Amino acid sequence: MIGFQALVHREIFRFISVFRQTIFPPVVSSFLYIFIFGFSLGRHIKTVEGVPYLTYLIPGLLMMYIIEGAYANTSSSLFISRWANNIEELLVTPLSYVEMVMAMLIGGLVRSSVTATGVYCVSLMFVRFPPAHPEVMVFFLIFVSLTFSSAGMIMALFAEEFEHLTVVTTFVITPLIFFGGVFHSITMVPEALRWVTQFNPMFYMVNGMRYAMLGISDVPLGQCMTVVVCIFFVLFSVTVYLFRIGFKLRK
Amino acid sequence: METAISIKNLSKDYRRLRAIEDVSLEVEAGEFFGFLGPNGAGKTTTISVLTGLANFSAGQVRVFGHDVLTEYRKTRALIGLVPQEFNFDPFLTAKQILTYEAGYFGVPKRQAKERAEELLGFFKLTEKSNDGYKKLSGGMKRRLLIARALVHRPKILILDEPTAGVDLELRYQLWDFLRGLNKEGTTIFLTTHYIEEAEKLCSRIGVIHRGKIVALEPTEALVRRMSGDQVELYLKKEMLSVPEDVEAIPIVLEDKGRKLRFEERDNAVAKVLKSLHNHGYEIDRIDIRRPTLEDAFLRLIRDPKEKAAP
Repeated sequence: MIGFQALVHREIFRFISVFRQTIFPPVVSSFLYIFIFGFSLGRHIKTVEGVPYLTYLIPGLLMMYIIEGAYANTSSSLFISRWANNIEELLVTPLSYVEMVMAMLIGGLVRSSVTATGVYCVSLMFVRFPPAHPEVMVFFLIFVSLTFSSAGMIMALFAEEFEHLTVVTTFVITPLIFFGGVFHSITMVPEALRWVTQFNPMFYMVNGMRYAMLGISDVPLGQCMTVVVCIFFVLFSVTVYLFRIGFKLRK
Repeated sequence: METAISIKNLSKDYRRLRAIEDVSLEVEAGEFFGFLGPNGAGKTTTISVLTGLANFSAGQVRVFGHDVLTEYRKTRALIGLVPQEFNFDPFLTAKQILTYEAGYFGVPKRQAKERAEELLGFFKLTEKSNDGYKKLSGGMKRRLLIARALVHRPKILILDEPTAGVDLELRYQLWDFLRGLNKEGTTIFLTTHYIEEAEKLCSRIGVIHRGKIVALEPTEALVRRMSGDQVELYLKKEMLSVPEDVEAIPIVLEDKGRKLRFEERDNAVAKVLKSLHNHGYEIDRIDIRRPTLEDAFLRLIRDPKEKAAP
């Protein structure tokens, strides 16, 4: 347990030591999103499903930063460790593979929680409302963070260059989040295209968080939770498996 | 005696290349073992298998009786590794590198800090405690690598070319330090291509060449077996060709026939002296040099037909 704690500590220490790159940018850009989209656009849209647009926007944005923070943390931490070869410092220790993976995932969870708290504080400058179901918020914060922390670790193992990590963020994660309904409800999408959205995992995450905060969702809460938990278990198992076989870790 | 390291029929393929072939060796607890071989022979690969940094294709590897695959947590706790290349965490200071590494090995926080400070002091790095490793000189990095390997007080210390690129003073200090550590009971497994280093420190030597073990025996026995005394005989007048009666001895004529160089085996010196006397050559002087591990090593890796003694 001491070894596990030490690694969790190291993972948290790492992102805090570079907080100008890890914590500040999302908090600042969330301010811009809320200001531009919520304030200017919101004047024209007024309400979505009976909720003011600015309020409607917050859960989706929060989810977006949770996903990006978790993914960015584990992918860069593990990739840099591979690149600088200090992953060997870890591989020679008696930590079990599950412990190594779990500790890194918790690092991702803590980073996304810190970012989410910052973004939430920014949102309070514009709009205040008590979350409808705080415990559901915590559920999605934890499981979505762990899911994308796993995804980040898998990518960090497959990546050969730093660029490969950002390619995934730019061309996969961000588009899926945007199409997942950060800024809109599925009811605003042409009916012929709605079925595509159902294959987008982010759709369930964004809607789960929206239910948690506002009590409204395009899909039932149970479905959102099931999708997130299933994806987490699949990605977590893959990550542990890759560590166990030493994929790109051991010669 | 307890067996610290036991490698049986270890083979490893890198893609299609066979990096290690059927390697078997044992190291007793408390031994100072030297593992020699030219670059690319398989030294680092063998170490990597022992420490969990490389997978392997066949064989069984045990550390104090525990299997490195099924009981990897136990085996890794027993070993401290000083790798050849610097592989420090770029986000941490020298002191943090030691405390975190101790933590990963399960050393409680306060104790980890104490040990880190102690080791930094011992290796004269205290002033650099709060600097990242990039600010350290080459010798300091090398010392930090060793300190890191010792922070969990391992029973076996494995060093992969620890003195490569290290100045003479530090090299002698390291040698003294390793001798002391070994005396206190730590088993040491050292790879090096400074043969002199192995000869001075190691009680037993294994030589690996092209992925295979070509010798495995006590240092002195290996040297004796592989090479006799080196004889250099200087003549007063030049010799054009080696006399027929000593043709069977591999004699090298040098210095325009004024110097004969050969190895003392099967009474070679007596035979050559007799022949020279019979042929009327006068001897100016004779130099006899005891063979070194380097002579043995070169012979082993130059002549692949030479096999280890049973």
